[in-house]
Amino acid sequence: MELTTFIQTIANSVVSGSIYATVAVGLALAFGVMQMANHAHGEFFMLGAYVVYVFYALGGMPFPLAVLAAIPTIAALGLLTERLIFRPTRGNVLAGFMATAGLTWILQTAAGRIWGLGFMKMIPTPYMGSANIAGAQIGLQRVLIVPAACILLGFLWFFLHRVRLGKGLRACAQDPEAAALQGISINKMTALAMGIAGAYAGVAGALMAPIHAVTPYMGRDLLITAFIVVIVGGMASIEGAVLAAFLLGFIHTFVTTIFDATSAVMVGVAFMAFILIVKPTGLMGRVKA
Amino acid sequence: MKKERLSGLFLRISLTMALIVTLSVMSGTTAQSAEETINIGFLAALSGPDAGWGLPGITGNQIFIDRVNAEGGLLVGGKRYKLKMYKFDDEAIGSKALQGARQLVLEHDVKFISAIGGNPADATHPFLTKKKVFYATLISTDIMPDRPYLIGGGDVTPRIDMLRPLYHKINNPELKRWAVTSQDDTIGKTCQAWEVGSAIAEGWDIVYDKHFSGETEDFAPVVTAILATKPDVVSLNLTYPTYVTLIIEQLYLQGFKGIISANYIDTESVMQKVPIEYMEATKCANSFPLFDDPWWGEPSWQHDFIKEWNAKYGPGTPGDVHRKITGIDWDHVIMLKLWAHGAQLAGSFDPDAILKALRSAPSIPTILGPGVMYGKEMWGIDNMISPPVPIAEVKADCKCKRIQAHLRFEQWFESRKDTIIKVVKDKGQYYDQRK
Repeated sequence: MELTTFIQTIANSVVSGSIYATVAVGLALAFGVMQMANHAHGEFFMLGAYVVYVFYALGGMPFPLAVLAAIPTIAALGLLTERLIFRPTRGNVLAGFMATAGLTWILQTAAGRIWGLGFMKMIPTPYMGSANIAGAQIGLQRVLIVPAACILLGFLWFFLHRVRLGKGLRACAQDPEAAALQGISINKMTALAMGIAGAYAGVAGALMAPIHAVTPYMGRDLLITAFIVVIVGGMASIEGAVLAAFLLGFIHTFVTTIFDATSAVMVGVAFMAFILIVKPTGLMGRVKA
Repeated sequence: MKKERLSGLFLRISLTMALIVTLSVMSGTTAQSAEETINIGFLAALSGPDAGWGLPGITGNQIFIDRVNAEGGLLVGGKRYKLKMYKFDDEAIGSKALQGARQLVLEHDVKFISAIGGNPADATHPFLTKKKVFYATLISTDIMPDRPYLIGGGDVTPRIDMLRPLYHKINNPELKRWAVTSQDDTIGKTCQAWEVGSAIAEGWDIVYDKHFSGETEDFAPVVTAILATKPDVVSLNLTYPTYVTLIIEQLYLQGFKGIISANYIDTESVMQKVPIEYMEATKCANSFPLFDDPWWGEPSWQHDFIKEWNAKYGPGTPGDVHRKITGIDWDHVIMLKLWAHGAQLAGSFDPDAILKALRSAPSIPTILGPGVMYGKEMWGIDNMISPPVPIAEVKADCKCKRIQAHLRFEQWFESRKDTIIKVVKDKGQYYDQRK
């Protein structure tokens, strides 16, 4: 591999890892921490992209404002999902998973009915052109994702470790009964987790709308990647999910460049299997997947 | 007395005969004035991820049917038959397609089915062969000798992918390095094999010949790998339009300066990501021309079709489909028109007679120009209509694509087939290797 190709591949890997981390972190919080296996997480991502389509591409709203609009919109959807699906099925992860599988189809069909089926939605790239970073050419829109991912992940870490509410959420995840005895409302905490998970999926979809194929089915493949990241990272570990996202990003990008993209998918899944065999709790987890 | 009885009998016989004659004349008149209808089917993905290849095709077929019916029906064997279309959403799933085929044939007695092809073609062909019902696929690679009523070729795939190496060689004889990629599904692999064979036959060096997974979300590494081979031409073969847009964006971002070529490029989608000047500089050669292209001339079937489509399905009309016309809107109707023409030539709706008439016709008018039934050496049976293949390039002044060439396939293929078929066989993609 030539030096320029190598540098380009490193840069591609960093961007890819940031994308995976941004998409997976919401799922890591809901599923990994709070045991809410949201099958519709990919559709939350999809709806975040459609918010940008509606407000930015169709409505002419500035792109940053359209991204911000996705946060409360999809957070509200997360809250609704918690109230209508995860709260009634609490204690039964599989029931919640299957119920949200139904929600997946509802949201896909609804998006298709409202905005139409067919080829990808036309969303103009707000920041056309590329940046030359040490010889690597990276699209400006993709460069934007790296600091955005850092801010989003940093904020979540700060919230979970430094804010009282976040600590309460972690307490619920570790021992719900003990947390309840301390006066922490489980209902409020699960709602909070799903609200944050929704907001993160929404903002990820919104940020990636200009570089992703926006269709009602765009969340389907991403969900698998997100679950791989959460499981490899360790079920209850946000940090593990971030680490796994970047590892997967590097593996996928390098295998694609050196061999081909089909092999990269196989290697990615083999990597997950290898980690789970060697360390069943995932990279930084304490509970088995 | 006897004479009176005889005359009474004669009177009764005369009246009875008159009644019989009157009734038979009346019944004959009734039969002649009764409206006979021939049903056709539309069996394709009307929802789900593949709907983009199916759903829009309904509009083109309906326009054709409305035109035929407005003329009093399709004139076959001296009689006019109204056409009626029945639809079934197979979601591109084989089992659903078979269910749909059964419903369309057994309940509606359809004689012809418009379809996308692929897995649904595999699933339905035993039933449709038994029932002798035409199945028109968009994917010529579905054509096989054991599928006598499966016809294709209206869609230019893979002939366009085989002719693009010729087109670029004629225009840029100094270029050498050809890179090609597409998604790793059955049709991608087969079409890419035909393109690679053709590129080799035209003297190109194949520097990249790989597939990407259909689940690929990030095309940056795919493009980095392609550009590492320093290609003169990057061909996207039958890459689906959504992926094409994302790959061209990456080619632009990573600084590719050569020629971009593909089966189909959705110019408007790519323009959202890439400056039009870049698209013009890299040619963005592809097929599926626009029907408002001045190249067709005025008046033309194509221009009339656009006008009619806009009047029926454009903004503010009762049938508003909330989108612009696409290549798929007219892609399916090519085969429906071919079948209708075949029935007229044969003077019958008998499928064997239609096939015989089409194959013996020296030239068949199609939407893309005069064609012939062809394909025995590619698919084992002459069930592919082969009209000329239009090749278009993107132009900045109109921010659209414009036809640059209209190439005939058959003669060129005859002169190159040995090399091409050898490559296809080496890749295990010849029709008798894919069973």
